[in-house]
Amino acid sequence: MSVKDTSKKGASYVKKSPWIIHYDAASCNGCDIEVLASLTPLYDVERFGIINTGNPRHADIFLVTGSVNEQAKPVIEQIYSQMVEPKVVIACGICACSGGVFKTCYNTMGGIDQVIPVDVYVPGCAVRPEALIDGVVRALDILEQKRAAMDAGLPVPTPEVKLGVETPRVLHTQDDPDESGTPIEPAAQGGEGAKR
Amino acid sequence: MGIIWFLIVFPLVAAALCVISRDERLRGVIVCVSACVIAVGSIVLAAQHLGGTARYYAFSSVAISVVLFIVELALCAYIMWRSLSARKYGVFVLACVQALLACVAEFGPSGSVEVHRAVYIDTLSSIMVLIIGIIGSGICVYAVGYMRDFQRHQDELARQGKEFSTDRQGFFFAVMFAFLSGMFGIVTFNDLAWMLCAWEVTTVCSFYLIGYTKTAEATANSFRQIWMNLIGGIAFATAVIIIGVTCSVMELDRFIAIGALAPMAAMLPVALLALASLTKAAQMPFHTWLLGAMVAPTPTSALLHSSTMVKAGVFLLIRLSPLMGVYVSGLPRMGINPVGFSVILVGCITFLLASLIAVSQSNAKRVLAYSTIPTRGRIVTCAGIGSAAAVWAAIFLLIFHACAKSLLFLCVGTAEHHIGSRNIEDMDSLITRMPKLAVLMAFGICGMFIAPFGMLVSKWAALGAFVNSGVIVIVIMLAFGSAATFFFWAKWLAKIVAGDPSAENVEGSVHTTEWCALGLMALLLAACSIFLPAISSGVVTPYVRQLTGGVMRMPSAGDLVLMAVCAFVMIAIPLVVALRARSIRRGDGHQPYFGGVGHGHAAFMDSMGQQVAYTQRNWYLEGMFNEEKIGMIGTVLCTIIAFMGISASVGLAVVFFGSVI
Amino acid sequence: MVWLSVLLAILFVVVAPVLGCLITGADRILTARMQRRRGPSILQPYYDVRKLLEKDARANDVVQVILLALSLVMLVVAGVCLYAGANFLLCILLETLSSLMFILAASVDPSPFVQVGVQREILQVMCCEPMLLLFAVGVYLYTGSFSVSSLFSTNLPMVVWLPLIFIGLVFVLTIKLRKSPFDIASSHHAHQEIVAGASTEMSGLSLALIEVTHWYELVILMSWVGMFFVTSNPLSVLLAILAAAVVFLLEIWIDNSFARVKWQVMFKSSWMVALVCGMVNFAMFFFIDSNGLVFF
Repeated sequence: MSVKDTSKKGASYVKKSPWIIHYDAASCNGCDIEVLASLTPLYDVERFGIINTGNPRHADIFLVTGSVNEQAKPVIEQIYSQMVEPKVVIACGICACSGGVFKTCYNTMGGIDQVIPVDVYVPGCAVRPEALIDGVVRALDILEQKRAAMDAGLPVPTPEVKLGVETPRVLHTQDDPDESGTPIEPAAQGGEGAKR
Repeated sequence: MGIIWFLIVFPLVAAALCVISRDERLRGVIVCVSACVIAVGSIVLAAQHLGGTARYYAFSSVAISVVLFIVELALCAYIMWRSLSARKYGVFVLACVQALLACVAEFGPSGSVEVHRAVYIDTLSSIMVLIIGIIGSGICVYAVGYMRDFQRHQDELARQGKEFSTDRQGFFFAVMFAFLSGMFGIVTFNDLAWMLCAWEVTTVCSFYLIGYTKTAEATANSFRQIWMNLIGGIAFATAVIIIGVTCSVMELDRFIAIGALAPMAAMLPVALLALASLTKAAQMPFHTWLLGAMVAPTPTSALLHSSTMVKAGVFLLIRLSPLMGVYVSGLPRMGINPVGFSVILVGCITFLLASLIAVSQSNAKRVLAYSTIPTRGRIVTCAGIGSAAAVWAAIFLLIFHACAKSLLFLCVGTAEHHIGSRNIEDMDSLITRMPKLAVLMAFGICGMFIAPFGMLVSKWAALGAFVNSGVIVIVIMLAFGSAATFFFWAKWLAKIVAGDPSAENVEGSVHTTEWCALGLMALLLAACSIFLPAISSGVVTPYVRQLTGGVMRMPSAGDLVLMAVCAFVMIAIPLVVALRARSIRRGDGHQPYFGGVGHGHAAFMDSMGQQVAYTQRNWYLEGMFNEEKIGMIGTVLCTIIAFMGISASVGLAVVFFGSVI
Repeated sequence: MVWLSVLLAILFVVVAPVLGCLITGADRILTARMQRRRGPSILQPYYDVRKLLEKDARANDVVQVILLALSLVMLVVAGVCLYAGANFLLCILLETLSSLMFILAASVDPSPFVQVGVQREILQVMCCEPMLLLFAVGVYLYTGSFSVSSLFSTNLPMVVWLPLIFIGLVFVLTIKLRKSPFDIASSHHAHQEIVAGASTEMSGLSLALIEVTHWYELVILMSWVGMFFVTSNPLSVLLAILAAAVVFLLEIWIDNSFARVKWQVMFKSSWMVALVCGMVNFAMFFFIDSNGLVFF
């Protein structure tokens, strides 16, 4: 999907200055190390205007590593609600995508999409910086769609929270047309956190 | 001249009525009506003389002299009695000395000096009359509601057996009015002996008002006030005697004229009068009495700080400013005037150190006290410099400080009665609990440190005057003091703007009289800010020209336009505060980020899933701005400087009279 | 000369944000290069602001936006005042006032990070204020008036007479520019302690206003540095620009080479520098050019 199709005002700037907040839900820290590695000279994400703000009010992209457990759930929900539209969520690493090896643990709820709507899934254990940067770049298109919808006064397209829904085996980005028809259950608990 | 006497006598009548009337409601009516009469009287008087040349009335009266002499002895007797019953023998001795000096002044050679023009009025007096008449009586009106709450509170304490309480409100109001009368006397009497008596009246009235609650602390503080001011009174009386003996005059204007011709002859009395002024103006080392005065009911603090007492000191200094300038021709040793120089240093050191101490204070009244002392310090310094620009700045500081500070005091007083604390830290959410008061308080704070008062006058004009005085050390002190000033005002203002929307509004029970007085002060402050150019060109500049002979270089037209932009901020901030009060009521705002899970504005979830309350506090940097340490430094430094100033002037007097004889 | 003042003032209002934006961009690139990174585009600050303006405006507090706008206006007026050659003291006062507005705007938010940041901001103003006032006094002593335009009628650049004041100014500029060692560990750093300090709770429009304010502020601060080098010779303006550029590079270098210090160190050192620089420089001034002035 091209940026210019949706934008009436011409070039948009959300894609040029994505600011990130990174939250470690229940990660083993492997992915966190890689997230920080992308700030280093080798990868230097600031090239793309990316800043790791560590502040939901400033951030456009919510980068979550690790699976969600009961402790982390309210935190993730609140950080998400504190972010200002347009915003996207990136599940970073296999645990964040689906729960990974911790999926069946007694205290784990699974992937991030069990709690808040996730726009981009980036697999990997641990996620590689290249994959991470690629995920962010994909997220930028979604961010732009959301901005365009916001500008046009339309509801911001947000994926549903998939509480209780099995995470698809093939990981994908949300705008993948194949998966747009995923059956969606009304989210009893997660829905609350999904609303701003 | 009739109005002058009316303004001096009428408050005394009002005072008598207050004592007689037993009924609270009736007394309230009396106070309000008398306050209005006094205000109207002072406006009429000022309107006739503001901006014009000084008017001296050829008037003298033996009868009045005798009456005032008796009053003075009576005051001394009152202090002796109080000090004996409280076993404060030092104060007793001082009071005896004071009485003795009064007798010497009356029956000695100075008593026989003929006085021709005992009463006068000029622009500075008119300004003071306006301040006393409008702000002073406004405070009396405020006190009607305030004292009612205060008395309830005292009765409550008495019922719990904590404190002993009797209703002495009648006396309270009587003393307030007597105080006003004394102040009118100070600013209009040209006869130094009469002025001395009025001076003593204000001292003793404030002594009574500070000790009003009769608690141990109040009594101790009132005695601290009295011994310090008795020293000033003794210095004043000595100066009067010396002036009478050496200059053979008893009038202030003629003394100043003689002093301008023969600076060395007048040096010692000027030094003594300056000392008296410094005690009244609560400059270091005498600043502690003003802090002690904070235990008194708030109207007392407002009256002492903003409109009267401390103003009397700087009034006299501005009067004497022609005799003080750093360089006076005809003096030995590079022509440095020891009195002017020590006054400047005392004022400036006080300004710097008291501002620094204010940073560490959280009690709102003490913050106000510690901002009053530096403002006085600045006025004192300006008067000490004595140039046209300096005196211009001094007079404007006087005017603005009177309006802004009385507004702030009254705000704090009302807040204290309704939120139960005078601590700034307890003023959390004042904006939701008392929105209107918060707006007024913000206005007062803006009045104190934003344009035009804080910036145009106290930095611009004062800095220019300080630099021109050539004493660079005071410029450096001013720079550091101003920085500290910013710190404590800004954090107070920041406290007012923040607020919890869930707090309850408790503003309903504020008395109408309190609102009237608060509104009056705010109006005065706004008027002074808006009409500043007019006041400057119409009133102050002509007076400064008469007094110093110099011309005040007003800021240029372009500067004034820019200044107007600054003045706009002063109005803008209270408006924004008002807007904030409304938006907070509507419940705007979002869940703040707590780096985890927050619950509303004042709690977060800990790692065990429990809610933990959190509070936020301002910084006071007590380790660096330690009150005791800095106060001690100031006391020592200023005492040394005052001693040096006086001994230098004694030396000059000895040299001068030695050569004459 | 009036038209020249007006022209310069208008030029300031229009050009300063562009210039400020470019300098900020250059700062980010240079910083990145010093850290062996490539860094963003030079227009990155501009992109950031445009992006912030695209964020949901409903998230902003009206009062906060008004106060921030006032802060911006105050600063623009300060710059106009400077470039129109008007009173320099007024320029400094307005700059302080602008900081106050920002402080008030931030304190609207009841967040612990904001409150710590606000106290820190107030402290920073207190640290800088003495040196700035002494700077104004220096201008007054050197030219005989507070008027900026009078600097353009001098024969020698001011820095010759007031070298220590210049050093003191460069010292407090580090605080004013929010550079290490006197900054806080906030966002935009890889190491964060109090999130974004005073601006933690701001978003979108509010943040954009702050950014634009910083652009103006940067130009004003660099102009202050330039003031030390201008003379009656028009070419001296080039020297002033060069000096400002060198000082800015120095600040970036300091930012990247010094570890952060505690506020106590910031406070003590800035006041000490102001005191020593002010005292010694004025003493030198009077020693060389005494007009019968008293000095202690």
